[in-house]
Amino acid sequence: MTETASSKQIRRVLVTGASGFIGGRLCEVMAITGTYTPRAFIHSTASAARITRFPIEFSIGDLRDSASVDRAVEGCDAIVHLARGEGSVMRAGLENLLRAAVLHKVSRFVHMSTVAVYGNMPPPESITEDSPIRHCDNLYGREKLGQEKRVLKYARNHGLPAVILRPPNVWGPYSHFSLEMIQKISKGTLALVSNGQNPCNLVHVDNLVEAILLSLWKPEAVNEVFFVTDDPVISWKQCLEDQAALVNTHLPGVAEEDLVVPAAERVWRESFKVVPRVFVSGEFRQQLRRIPLLRIVEEKLFAGFQSLSAETQHSLRSRLTGGNTAVLVRPATAPRFVRNGLHFTQMRRVAHSSEKARRLLGYTAPVKYAEGMANLQAWLRFARHLTS
Amino acid sequence: MSDTNSISSTLTAEQETAAARGPLRIAIVGCGSITEGAHLPAILASPEVLLVGLGDTSESRLRSLKEEFCPDVPGFRDYKELFDKVDAVVLALPNFLHAPVGTEFLKRGISVLCEKPLSVRREESVQLCAAAKSGGSVLAVGFVTRFFPSTLLTHHLLETGFLGNLQSFDYEFGTAGGWETASGYNLSRETSAGGVLAISGSHFLDRMLFLFGDVDVVRFLDDSRGGLEANCKAEFLATFDGRRLPGTITLSKTHRLSNRLRIVGEKGVITVAEGQSLSVTFFPSGSDLREEIFPASIIPGTPEQDYFRLQLEDFVRAIKECSEPHVSGEQGLKSAALMEECYARAERLDEPWCDATMQYFRRALPPQ
Repeated sequence: MTETASSKQIRRVLVTGASGFIGGRLCEVMAITGTYTPRAFIHSTASAARITRFPIEFSIGDLRDSASVDRAVEGCDAIVHLARGEGSVMRAGLENLLRAAVLHKVSRFVHMSTVAVYGNMPPPESITEDSPIRHCDNLYGREKLGQEKRVLKYARNHGLPAVILRPPNVWGPYSHFSLEMIQKISKGTLALVSNGQNPCNLVHVDNLVEAILLSLWKPEAVNEVFFVTDDPVISWKQCLEDQAALVNTHLPGVAEEDLVVPAAERVWRESFKVVPRVFVSGEFRQQLRRIPLLRIVEEKLFAGFQSLSAETQHSLRSRLTGGNTAVLVRPATAPRFVRNGLHFTQMRRVAHSSEKARRLLGYTAPVKYAEGMANLQAWLRFARHLTS
Repeated sequence: MSDTNSISSTLTAEQETAAARGPLRIAIVGCGSITEGAHLPAILASPEVLLVGLGDTSESRLRSLKEEFCPDVPGFRDYKELFDKVDAVVLALPNFLHAPVGTEFLKRGISVLCEKPLSVRREESVQLCAAAKSGGSVLAVGFVTRFFPSTLLTHHLLETGFLGNLQSFDYEFGTAGGWETASGYNLSRETSAGGVLAISGSHFLDRMLFLFGDVDVVRFLDDSRGGLEANCKAEFLATFDGRRLPGTITLSKTHRLSNRLRIVGEKGVITVAEGQSLSVTFFPSGSDLREEIFPASIIPGTPEQDYFRLQLEDFVRAIKECSEPHVSGEQGLKSAALMEECYARAERLDEPWCDATMQYFRRALPPQ
């Protein structure tokens, strides 16, 4: 970080994704509190109604167009990057933004990442941000992980004062996550998994906005990565039962092991099971032997197989063909809940900690669960998502 | 009807020639989304008009529309270049430009079909009507839903006492998101002059005046914080058939509403859903029945007409016959005055989800 960057008073802040859920709230808070002047970077004028309620500055453009990004960043002291989109937006768009941030010497670059960088089943040690990311099996998380690396590269190579925030599911008024829960519970397509005993990693949008505001000026934030979560962490049981109460609906329960494997996953799994059986079948090998080159290979492999002991041959054959596995058929009348989306999320056992954000940023997570629920309920009624 | 917009005694020689010549020479000023999606296709489809120019300050917008629709039609970046080339224009500019640009055409005897709203200020609408009168030109306002058979049918049913004494009406229209504009004029009060009331609600304000006559504004609440309101609620009081008739309007650009007009009378309820252009739905009192009512001229299942073309050809008819268009400048003025009164009386809509936690953020801001 340069001297100029650290000491400069931040005033005008470019907010990308300003017409989205988090960006909309951030612009509202900035406009009302008045300390920062938001410049809303939007891709479409059609979805900006929430923030046009304020007399704020707009910049219409596309992150993939470096000229429009350059125009948007010019004159801004800091950037909060919330926009997301298809691969080109996530990669080329971010690259354009980082390049412009360096060119215009912004004093702070706050990048919104996600706890999903740890994958669908975060390892137990991912309570803190320092724990290494070994493998990410979540497509969105993998994209965001790539973004984190890109941001940190600019911090390292160009002295960009960057801050990375990793929230879990963000809830509150206008939240897609909150709406998804309510809609699925209303339709009866969401169940409480294993009695909802696992921690529900959430952050209220206003708590996340607090973390963003602190990240914009706290010197200790620079080049750090922070989890940002609510405090205390509630269980899925509390979360989902409270949402079900809003819509006066009973929430069904399901055990982890009774969740139905998603169709796409089932196809892959079954295919992998069947492929070895096909390869060792007599019919398939007979066809292979018609090709002279493959016949030589097959004969050598078969000779090798024959040289093994009878027990080893039997064991190998059983493993390749899957043996006599019994197929469990469940009663057709039982409700079937698929092991994906919100059901899968409930199987995570780790509660990410925002202790580092508290220590370095002074993050307080001021909106407690009950207050957040009261505000959410008021908005849901206003926006006609609740009828009673 | 007032004679503010009357042209019978002031038809210019040029207009007389135009009327005799056949197709009217017309241009479009403002090449945004509504031109691309509605006005331009309507003009190109109508034998009543000849498109002689497209006007827009954006070269790329002109090029794009010309390439897509009419490569041989010249483009003009300055609308003043059209003054000696046209008999009429469709004015599809951002709201704040309706009065200054429209006046320039009207006072030169060039008739104007102005996109809605005519203006959100009474004064500007008066200026436009006066310019039409002085120039002997026709001023029509693009409240296209007035051309829906369902609007005319509702008017007829009310006028003939189909519902008996009227008790109330309410109208709701809400969508999660709004109109994508090419210029971005809908992002600020300076250029849009109004939010959801002006953009989405002006159609119904005009229809409300058409259906129930003059109304008083009782209360108007919106969520503007110095910018454009995304949500609003208005209460009105009309006098219909000598009785007081309360009504409400609820509009949103952040979420979906029931999107229909409902008129309650002693003999039942009429509803007209948004986009229900051919019929109205009737629920008789004390009955479980639901009836779809169509005008006699329409056979159920008939394909929709191009209402923008109907509007355009009504405008041409008014010019050629020296008569009033279906929606005149004078009527546009009335809805503009009503809108102005709403904004003047605006109270803040209660939004606890926005304000209740605001106190917490002070602690997160840098020391001043």
